[in-house]
Amino acid sequence: MRRISITLAAILMLWSGIPALAHHSAALQDFTKRVEISGVVKAFRIMNPHGKLLVEVSDPKGKREIEFETHSRNNVYRSGYRDGMIKPGEKIKVTIAPNRDGSDGGYVVGFETAKGEKVGLDPAGR
Amino acid sequence: MFRRTRIFVLVFVSMTLSASGFAQAARGGAGAPDLTGVWTTYRAPGAAARGGGARGAQPELPLKPAAKAKVQEYQNLIAGTGDTPGGYCLGTGMPGSMMGSGGYPMEIIQRPDQITIVYEAHNEIRRVYFGNRIIPEKDRLSERNGYSTGRWEGNTLVVETTKLNEQVDQRYPHSDKAKIVERYTLSEEAGAKVLTAEMTMTDPDFYTAPVSEIKKWSIVPNGFLMTYECNEPMWLDRLEALKQKKSAQPTK
Repeated sequence: MRRISITLAAILMLWSGIPALAHHSAALQDFTKRVEISGVVKAFRIMNPHGKLLVEVSDPKGKREIEFETHSRNNVYRSGYRDGMIKPGEKIKVTIAPNRDGSDGGYVVGFETAKGEKVGLDPAGR
Repeated sequence: MFRRTRIFVLVFVSMTLSASGFAQAARGGAGAPDLTGVWTTYRAPGAAARGGGARGAQPELPLKPAAKAKVQEYQNLIAGTGDTPGGYCLGTGMPGSMMGSGGYPMEIIQRPDQITIVYEAHNEIRRVYFGNRIIPEKDRLSERNGYSTGRWEGNTLVVETTKLNEQVDQRYPHSDKAKIVERYTLSEEAGAKVLTAEMTMTDPDFYTAPVSEIKKWSIVPNGFLMTYECNEPMWLDRLEALKQKKSAQPTK
């Protein structure tokens, strides 16, 4: 129980600085495109109206942390996510609809965990 | 003799029918179709789940110039931000809540004197009142989902909604003078219940003509709604900010 509290606190600390109200519609991403990105989970916050996934990525642009948006807690659950599937420190492969302006980040439309669990997310909900 | 009997039978049948109609209305539809259950956006039997992405092109709404200007002002304000009411944990409001509800399921709980509609998205709730549950118009407060009253016309549920807030932040913008009439009917396809809602909105301030649309829902056998908790992250962030502020203060 204490471990859970510490983990939760650590996740919350990682997310401090991200405005809670900085939720957006899916209008900023290009859903006609798909990009696959691999990295290490730094934090995952499953919540409504949108979740946040922070991944450490190393690519030709360098090593950095990228924040991705996911669908709502309810739709992530309905797509197959269950508690504990995404853990900080573990590898993850995410499929995203990239930001229209070409900046880092995007909208997660699917992911594969280090254990090989695959979840596809319907961006419009069900 | 036969003529007198025929008249008597006609009068009896007519009285029985009107008494049963009255009883149905008085009981708020007891004996009426049962809409109770969890419903999701209609899909034809055997069809795959609806894919994601934006809606198809919508027909242009018959907005008056002043209303169109208000909508445009709102669109300009949010342009490039991606901001939506839902992004701020705010429900869609009628008629958007009924006609869209973000693609999430809804639950209908039917009692003779009240039908409660729970939309999973944003935990949005509508209450449709019947008979003695209906309060006088002067006692109603305006809100995004308005105030709804219901009646049964045979097997059709008719819901009238007024006392709406003016809203330009949804797919069906409207003024506070808008009136929405929904007509709900039940049918069956391949043994599964289908709920059809025909919506007509009239609004003398915003529209030159009524706005109508049809929405269909499929029953979800043994379905359930999830809680749509939206404000907790904001509260946890607030606590974290307070904690950090406190720890940064010098100890006396």
